[in-house]
Amino acid sequence: MASLRVRQLLAPSRRWFSETVSGTPSPPDSPLYPPVVASITAKSKAAKSRRLQRFNQRVHAAATVEEKLRLYGKLQRPKYTVYPQTFALNADRWYRSFTKTVLVPGMPPRAAAAKAPVAAAGATPEAGRAPEPGVEAPGAAEAPGAAETPEPAVGAVPYLDIGELRSLACDALLQESFYQNKKRPFLYRDQDHTPGPFLTQLVSTLAASLSGRNPLLAASSLDLNPEVSYYWHHGEEVVVHGHRKGRVDPVRFQIDDNPHLQIRVPKQLPEVVPLESDLGDVPVIDHKPSKLPLFKKQYENKVFIGSKVADPCCYGHTQFHLLPDKLKRERFIRERLEDQIEVVYRSNGIASLFAWTAAQAMYQGFWSEADVTRPFVSQAVVTDGKYFAFFCYQLNTLALTAETIKNNPRKNICWSTDSKPLYDVVEDGNVKGFNDEVLLQLVRFLLNRPKEL
Amino acid sequence: YPLFQRGGPQLRIFRPNFFMLAVRPGVPQPEDTVQFRVSMEMTKLDIRNYLEKIYNVPVAAVRTRIQYGANNKRNHRNQRVKKPDYKVAYVQLGQGQTFQFPNLFPEKEQDAETRSFDDFRDKFMEKEKQKQEGDPRRGGVPDWFGL
Repeated sequence: MASLRVRQLLAPSRRWFSETVSGTPSPPDSPLYPPVVASITAKSKAAKSRRLQRFNQRVHAAATVEEKLRLYGKLQRPKYTVYPQTFALNADRWYRSFTKTVLVPGMPPRAAAAKAPVAAAGATPEAGRAPEPGVEAPGAAEAPGAAETPEPAVGAVPYLDIGELRSLACDALLQESFYQNKKRPFLYRDQDHTPGPFLTQLVSTLAASLSGRNPLLAASSLDLNPEVSYYWHHGEEVVVHGHRKGRVDPVRFQIDDNPHLQIRVPKQLPEVVPLESDLGDVPVIDHKPSKLPLFKKQYENKVFIGSKVADPCCYGHTQFHLLPDKLKRERFIRERLEDQIEVVYRSNGIASLFAWTAAQAMYQGFWSEADVTRPFVSQAVVTDGKYFAFFCYQLNTLALTAETIKNNPRKNICWSTDSKPLYDVVEDGNVKGFNDEVLLQLVRFLLNRPKEL
Repeated sequence: YPLFQRGGPQLRIFRPNFFMLAVRPGVPQPEDTVQFRVSMEMTKLDIRNYLEKIYNVPVAAVRTRIQYGANNKRNHRNQRVKKPDYKVAYVQLGQGQTFQFPNLFPEKEQDAETRSFDDFRDKFMEKEKQKQEGDPRRGGVPDWFGL
């Protein structure tokens, strides 16, 4: 009996020590104890990473885009306000480093542009449209008179009448600056007096006349003085003073931009180069952004393309920016800062287009943890009334935060041109020295459309 | 000087009573930025003209701020002692010039005699320290502790 009990006592212990699976029921599928992970509320790096992961999961799991945007910009902290139109020196280098953008001089070669051949004097614009990387033909300013008569239409496709478009542009210019009686502009309000209305008139008339050729323009939406905003993180810094001193925080940026005009379309523009292309280097600046100078402020983290999420025209086509009086050419020439004139155009183009394309991508549900799967392309024209500079931006990546940028080889690309005058001078009801090239480039921009259309 | 009348030649020379002190920046600044301590009454225009006219330095941009000197220290009579306020100017140079604040106290090359003397002195100090410490086998316990 005692031996029986001993054997009963020994038997389960033998089973307990042995590794072989016997006839006992298998252990339950769910583990007995909860997983051993870091705490959520502790003041440690593991806890911080766990909180970040929970936040990322919350944003990933959000049902609608509005909910995602609300969660993305929920936490307000002091952030750098990036102004696209700034007088800071060498701002375009800094902005390129903030947005991981490569600057490529010259417009990208457009193979699709061969669909709408333009009948201008000679074959120079056609040659310029052929895949010639970069710089437009400099000597294409033919005598305006030669292009008055439209080329005899070859085939059924109606060619573009450059004379008609030039007359539209000259009409708008003369109406605003010569025919209309205007009082003297208020102090420092020169840009609102003449170039502003001229630009609005020019773009609306050109868009209306070209909408027959480009069905995308017919379905587009032209915004007057819209708002474009974007909020993002890039890099890391240590908090200097305050109750959060010593903690490692991401560097936050916000762009709040008001382009003069904006064209939004329901279909996206086609990509210019493949998503993973590498066309240059992004400048790396070791200093803090406050040395630019850039200042911090805390307010609403807004992401906006010009219309709310439910609007069908959710993709961007072209923006038109007007440079303020503070940044006019004469002021830079007077202070002997001639090289900063182009910097102003470039910084405006890069910052505004980055904000617009990134906000468009966020409206489609992408964000820094969920990077874009297709490139977002937009165009911009920056002008001060007389000089026009053209920009084309391709957004390849939104992942600019300190963790997501580590293994991210993609870069955003911005093609830019130097500023060229549209006309030389307006006198006595005549526009002297009209530059057809600039008008052509503008028309090309407006005619840009996806390949299906 | 002859009396000046409008349109006549400007023969007078005005020398400013300002001083500008180039300082080493406390936080790293971009290459084209020079940091100065200037008089409190100077303006950005004054700084620009001072550097351009007197020293022929091309100036692209000037930014200034006033540094408040603290008033917390107390002297032997418990009166507050104020450190003076001063104005700091950050000047960005034009024409692509850069500036790096020089190292004012570079390491001097020592000749063989001073080097050997320094080595000898270090070794001597080490030996003295060793004598002061007790037996390493006792593990830091003082030598008066025992049976």
